[in-house]
Amino acid sequence: MSSYESFIRCRGVTKTYHKGNTPVTPLSALDLDVPRGTFLALMGPSGSGKTTLLNLIAGIDSPTSGSLHVGGVDIAKLKRGQLTKWRASHVGYIFQLYHLVPILSAFENVELPLLLAPLSRKERHRQVQVALELVGLGDRSDHRPSELSGGQEQRVAIARAIVANPALLVADEPTGDLDRESATQILNLLRELVREHGKTIVMVTHDPRAAAAADTVLHLEKGRLVEAADLNMQAA
Amino acid sequence: MIAKSFNIVLLAVKQLTRHRIRSLLTILGVAAGMFLFATVETMQGSLRRATQTTADDTTLVVYRDNRFCPATSRLPEHYESTIRKIEGVREVIPIQIVVNNCGASLDIIAFRGVPPDSLTKYAPQIQVLDGTVESWKQRSDAALLGRHFAARRGLKVGDRFDAAGVVVHVAGIIDSPEPQDNNVAYVHLPFLQQASRAGLGVVTQFNVRVTSAERLDPVAKEIDEYFRSEQAPTRTRPEKAFFADTAQELVELVGFTRWLGLGAVAAVLGLVANAVLLVVRARVKENAVLQTLGFGQRAIALLVAVEGVLLGLAGGVLGVLSALAFLRWQSITIGNEGVTLAIMPDLDVVLRGLLTALALGLLASLYPAWQAARRPIVSSLRAV
Repeated sequence: MSSYESFIRCRGVTKTYHKGNTPVTPLSALDLDVPRGTFLALMGPSGSGKTTLLNLIAGIDSPTSGSLHVGGVDIAKLKRGQLTKWRASHVGYIFQLYHLVPILSAFENVELPLLLAPLSRKERHRQVQVALELVGLGDRSDHRPSELSGGQEQRVAIARAIVANPALLVADEPTGDLDRESATQILNLLRELVREHGKTIVMVTHDPRAAAAADTVLHLEKGRLVEAADLNMQAA
Repeated sequence: MIAKSFNIVLLAVKQLTRHRIRSLLTILGVAAGMFLFATVETMQGSLRRATQTTADDTTLVVYRDNRFCPATSRLPEHYESTIRKIEGVREVIPIQIVVNNCGASLDIIAFRGVPPDSLTKYAPQIQVLDGTVESWKQRSDAALLGRHFAARRGLKVGDRFDAAGVVVHVAGIIDSPEPQDNNVAYVHLPFLQQASRAGLGVVTQFNVRVTSAERLDPVAKEIDEYFRSEQAPTRTRPEKAFFADTAQELVELVGFTRWLGLGAVAAVLGLVANAVLLVVRARVKENAVLQTLGFGQRAIALLVAVEGVLLGLAGGVLGVLSALAFLRWQSITIGNEGVTLAIMPDLDVVLRGLLTALALGLLASLYPAWQAARRPIVSSLRAV
């Protein structure tokens, strides 16, 4: 697939769930195309469906209807087990609150996605070290999350997301819990991953400054795309 | 697959070792339950060994009919020559037994008086740990003490001690594969007859060896038939049946402990299940993150189950080994109506205890593991 073809392709994606007896539809018949190597920011008010869209693209949730292709695979058709395997090798997830395992060191946290991969211990350790060096924490590998600052924790989380070398990174408000300086460092790191390592990043944010770091910004409202801030994006 | 499972086991070990206090408390709780379980199993096993007749058993005990305590079983010693003539009888040994207490007791002292020249025929299995059989034979008030008996009373060769009105000189310490031998003092028959005031010519019982196990019943019937109309009628039973009948209270008491063992098993099951369930509830988000990183439902279930199994196993090892050490160190012997039951742990109890702990850990983890694996990722990530 060339960089001009869609890496992420949503057609008629609808997500409905039930709160008690009331059906809720956070995403409705959404169409979206994202080229490979794009840094995309999703913005919108609370409840607009941006996190739901992020979760669908990351394969941790499935659409109620529609097709969702990522890297040529219609992940909407994958069963839970298949989706888990696909996620392990194709997606890295970055959370707002980092979600590092508190009893594990930075090294061990980054190692987690590789524990189920068919790698030797030596190769696994090499990849973890490379990922930690890339985020600038090669010298903090023995530190527990409680011994790191918020910005450092988020960098460990980014190292964990990229250690298996996935083509797609999804980030849910990655700077939402950080001070401005740390947030800038994280955004620079994400941009570097797109520019120098060819990753595709989909980021949800409320912060216009964070969105400004992206190549493209899309706004969602009531489960629909309302505005595209880049011509590379074809929002229907 | 094996490498993946190994990595999950290592991760579970990290979870346990790095939540030290929580793991330690759970392990101690499991260990307490398994200590009780192993102790009860040891009692049950010891009772089984003492009461279940096997194909190799060829010994009969001739006792006074309708008597249970050795103090009331008085048989003429001359019965020996009559019994010896019965077809199928290989050996007859008259024995005088003196105990300090006929009721159920944890500190029973039992003297067995046997003809000095018959000791090796009566108990060929004994080994002398200290002293000699010869020095025992040479001295009329000499006693050979079972090693548990000696350990319990702190006695050594050369000591004198007084119990149940009998004063003896310790000539040796013996060890035997038969648990009862390790809890008695062997003395000369004439000495004990006089010391206990039973008088020469009166014994408590006869131990009769028959030529084969098939001869046990016919010989027993013939003996009892022969003395039926005598002033001292007899009741003859295989040695282990004699134990089961004589120590009926003891058998019932030890039988009751089975319920304590079951209670211990239930407590361990509940404790591990509760601990693992709390872990799963505390790690809803953590497990969701692992699933996001590519851990499947089976991997999450395995992670939870391994934690439960390791908790159960660690507590099991600690509890069973503590029980083993305690029972060996204490040399507990329960006596009733003159027979003694040594509570001795064996490898079977250790293996059964460890397997039970393993099974309980696994069983207790099944529901929490299933619960952890089936939770949807998105709602788990949103959980408070």
